[in-house]
Amino acid sequence: MSTGLEETSDAETVDVTEAELEALIGDRALARDEHENAPGFVVNPDEVQSVLGDLKDEAGYDHLSCVTAQQYEDRYESIYHLKKYDDASDEVSIVVPTTRDDPVSESAEPVFRTADWHEREAYDLVGIEYADHPDLRRILLPETWQGHPLSDDYDQDKPQLVTLAEHENPLADDHHDAESDTMFLNVGPHHPATHGVLHVKTVLDGETIVDVDPDIGYLHRCEEQMCQQGTYRHQIMPYPDRWDYVSSGLLNEWAYARAIEDLADIEVPEYAQVIRTMGAELCRIASHMLALGTFALDVYGEFTAIFQYTFRDREVVQDILEDLTGQRMMFNYFRVGGVAWDLPEPREEFFEQTRDFLDELPAKVAEYNDMVTSNEIFQTRCIDTGVLEPDVAKDYGCTGPVARGSGVDYDLRRDDPYGYYEHLDWDVVTRDGCDNYARVLCRMEEVEESAKIIEQCLDLLEEWPEDDREVQANVPRTLKPDAGSEIYRAVEAAKGELGIYIRSDGTDKPGRFKIRSPCFSNLQALPEMTEGEYIPDLVASLGSLDIVLGEVDR
Amino acid sequence: MIGLLKSMATTMKHALDGSTFTVEYPKTAPDVSPRFRGVHKWSQERCIWCRQCENVCPNDTIQIVMDDQRNGEQYNLHIGQCIYCRLCEEVCPTDAILLTQNFEFTGDTKQDLVYNKEQLKSVPWYKDIDPLESREPDRGAWIGEGEGEVDYQ
Amino acid sequence: MNTAPTPLQSDTVLLPELIGDLTGIAEFGVAGELLAAFIGAFIVGSLMLAMTGIAGPWAKRKITAAFTDRIAVNHLGPGGILVIVADSVRLLSKENIIPEDADRPAYDLAPIIIAGSALLGFAVIPMGSGIHLADPEVGLVYVFAVAGIASVGLMMAGYASGNKYSMLGGLRAVAQNIAYEIPLVVTGMSVVLFAGSLRMSEIVAVQNETTLFTIPGLEWAIPAWFALVNPFAFVLFLIANFAEVGRNPFDMPEAPAELVAGYQTEYSSVYFVLVYLGEFLHIFLGGAIITTIFLGGPAGPGPAELGIVWFIIKIWSVFLLTQWLRSAIPRVRIDHLIEIGWKGLLVLSFANLFLTAAIVGVIQ
Repeated sequence: MSTGLEETSDAETVDVTEAELEALIGDRALARDEHENAPGFVVNPDEVQSVLGDLKDEAGYDHLSCVTAQQYEDRYESIYHLKKYDDASDEVSIVVPTTRDDPVSESAEPVFRTADWHEREAYDLVGIEYADHPDLRRILLPETWQGHPLSDDYDQDKPQLVTLAEHENPLADDHHDAESDTMFLNVGPHHPATHGVLHVKTVLDGETIVDVDPDIGYLHRCEEQMCQQGTYRHQIMPYPDRWDYVSSGLLNEWAYARAIEDLADIEVPEYAQVIRTMGAELCRIASHMLALGTFALDVYGEFTAIFQYTFRDREVVQDILEDLTGQRMMFNYFRVGGVAWDLPEPREEFFEQTRDFLDELPAKVAEYNDMVTSNEIFQTRCIDTGVLEPDVAKDYGCTGPVARGSGVDYDLRRDDPYGYYEHLDWDVVTRDGCDNYARVLCRMEEVEESAKIIEQCLDLLEEWPEDDREVQANVPRTLKPDAGSEIYRAVEAAKGELGIYIRSDGTDKPGRFKIRSPCFSNLQALPEMTEGEYIPDLVASLGSLDIVLGEVDR
Repeated sequence: MIGLLKSMATTMKHALDGSTFTVEYPKTAPDVSPRFRGVHKWSQERCIWCRQCENVCPNDTIQIVMDDQRNGEQYNLHIGQCIYCRLCEEVCPTDAILLTQNFEFTGDTKQDLVYNKEQLKSVPWYKDIDPLESREPDRGAWIGEGEGEVDYQ
Repeated sequence: MNTAPTPLQSDTVLLPELIGDLTGIAEFGVAGELLAAFIGAFIVGSLMLAMTGIAGPWAKRKITAAFTDRIAVNHLGPGGILVIVADSVRLLSKENIIPEDADRPAYDLAPIIIAGSALLGFAVIPMGSGIHLADPEVGLVYVFAVAGIASVGLMMAGYASGNKYSMLGGLRAVAQNIAYEIPLVVTGMSVVLFAGSLRMSEIVAVQNETTLFTIPGLEWAIPAWFALVNPFAFVLFLIANFAEVGRNPFDMPEAPAELVAGYQTEYSSVYFVLVYLGEFLHIFLGGAIITTIFLGGPAGPGPAELGIVWFIIKIWSVFLLTQWLRSAIPRVRIDHLIEIGWKGLLVLSFANLFLTAAIVGVIQ
């Protein structure tokens, strides 16, 4: 099998029609399964690798965006959502059913490295086993957990006692060797540089990192299940704010809004789309400011000036967002079919406040450049550390500034347009340094691009005719999409591709709600970036990945 | 070397201009936006006990107890559990439940944060801001003309 | 304004003798001298500890806040200065948690060594206004020697804590101190070539007795402070000193973002206070050494009695510089640090030494 590092030439990535896909998969397709977003092919569980391999090499589907697992009454199902890095709107889903008695399916890991964690999560939460998987352990729950929480026969009332000592599998091999020259070091779960409760199992040779194994799940809050228990119309919307909780709330809300609007066929008024676009970009600025500040914190140490300056500027954005949405971080501003409110009155004041911020932004960015990027010590710390080659980034399903810092030109705002982005004039920022420095620069330039977008949105909003300011579409009070309809929709969140998969079971609550978190996929690449480097580089690489554990663990 | 000196010059500039962006919090009360969502305030006079707020609440924060004649008896709200999504205010047809701008409240135990009717009534306004004025709630979205079934309690 | 710096004689009366004479206890022979020495040491120690007390809980916060556009402590007393009291009560009343794996008594000794080594160094520093405890012939060597003991303390703290992060911190401290001790001492020696003596009082005297040049028209005589005579050596010494006391950008042994405060991770309560005090004492000792051998010691405009004021101003400027660097400059990586030490500073410091030797030889 391929190692998944083959380059697909542009010639192969030109539009593949459904007929060609059918021909490519041929007899291996047992049936067709239409998803709202993409054609689906049902495939035998022992032909996953060959089908995915062909799709990747022959048809150019080089981005395994997400793996969704779910249980039906009669079967388990894994869905591989494939996309192209060159054309994100060209999607295909591979559906792999397995029986209830013997839920074993072939692993996609040899084709796409990113399937490693996604399949572990599917195993952990739903209970599908993947043959050939290199390391099929639980990922979000403790290793001693009993049962698979998203499966039908799981007893939610049964108490699970997991003591600290039992957190790890007591039967696991002990590799401790008194003669060895290496040292095992737990970085986290409580460590200043892990930005939350991330546990990185590190093996050190001196200060050089030999092996890194991120251990996640400390902040697992059953977000998917919580959404499955809420009604489409209102109860799900407050939760996306809490996935990536550092001020990218509106971007997350948009992911859900986009998925449900496409599933239930709701047309959003243009005026609302402009407000959404503006709010989302404000969030992106706030989020990138925080990323820059905390990255500086990791590299500079302690609470240095740059962290405070970015927070001061982020504060301004938060004030604007508070005026707009009513909350500083947990916005709950989007509604299915629009937004909750129009701009705050008096509108002139809001425009003035936002424009003031945009006017001051270039000076502030210049100040950051003075302090951070032009600093020689900063450059020696960041250039050529945490290197992530573009091929590796694609293989791990990296998106967002992490991929763009590695020269992968992939931005859903442009490639799979939504909202008002396609009518606005802005650029996708890419950098081909592939290192920590490139990722930082990428974020800083994205801030400027976002400012450009906000500026244009403000102009539009200011001139919008007063009698046409419709903020919400007419949406039924109870949403019940057709039973069995499935959709996977993604938006460009601050950290990358944030995707939502929803399967409707005909009721007013989702049958399956799956979150494709960008941080989850990006974090997977950490070992590739840090092995062979020093502890400070590990800390810097973690910072430049800009993960939020709330989103990784969900 | 130039970069290092530039960094140092920037911080020194900030040190010398003497401006600060933090607030002396307990001394100066911060300005909150008129749309800000804080602790709930509830009005018994207005409440028609339709239980829509209880129904829409995403995480069962509101608990309403009624007698067999559908007269309201208790209205409990677990502030410690609330996620301040404001859906209860949005759904309320009579503006009986509102989210004030008040964000200053504490409790020694979880139990202290379970507010009953009386406590909810006596929640103070923050700086005398009336939240309704700034929010102009869009009830149209709730009644709607769509075909979805209307589920009255 | 009196422009000529006050010359200091190398045979100034030392503080213990002064106390002995003033109080009359010198008449009691050796016991009296001993008592006088203790009183002198007590005065100097209290002075230094008081400065650390101001610097640690209060000044550091205020300075950092100024750089980062914040207000910092301002509730207790004028400008929040009484936070010092609050902090000391808080720190001293906390439980002293000693980890199970701690290797005692090394664990208990380390904080004392870290704080004590710095205090010892002040014994030979001439602080002006007659405050000078001892003036041995090998003063400069002595001060480098006792300051170097601190790395033993750091290593002990790192090893005895029984924590991997502390261990790494301790190892880094040793690697760093070895790499920077040599350039530090070698650069210090270039000063000795100018002064022709290791005795602290003479080094100070030489700087102030010679006039570098006079600004014409103003009749301001600029004294031959070695920072002005050999700025290159001054910069080298400053950098090596920051590395030696583990300040930004060389705060490797602590590196909170990487090693979670390194060697001091496991220290709490009184021990933490000692470690923290030791850290600040070392910054001040570094400042005192720089002041003495490069900035003319306690000399400054005005009467000689103001010496101690000038001295304190000078060492606080060095402290201010450390805080300034802390706010603006990223931490270098450990391998870069060692590289800068061995490949850069060491070579430069020897070059400086030879150059100085040649120049001094030619002049003489």
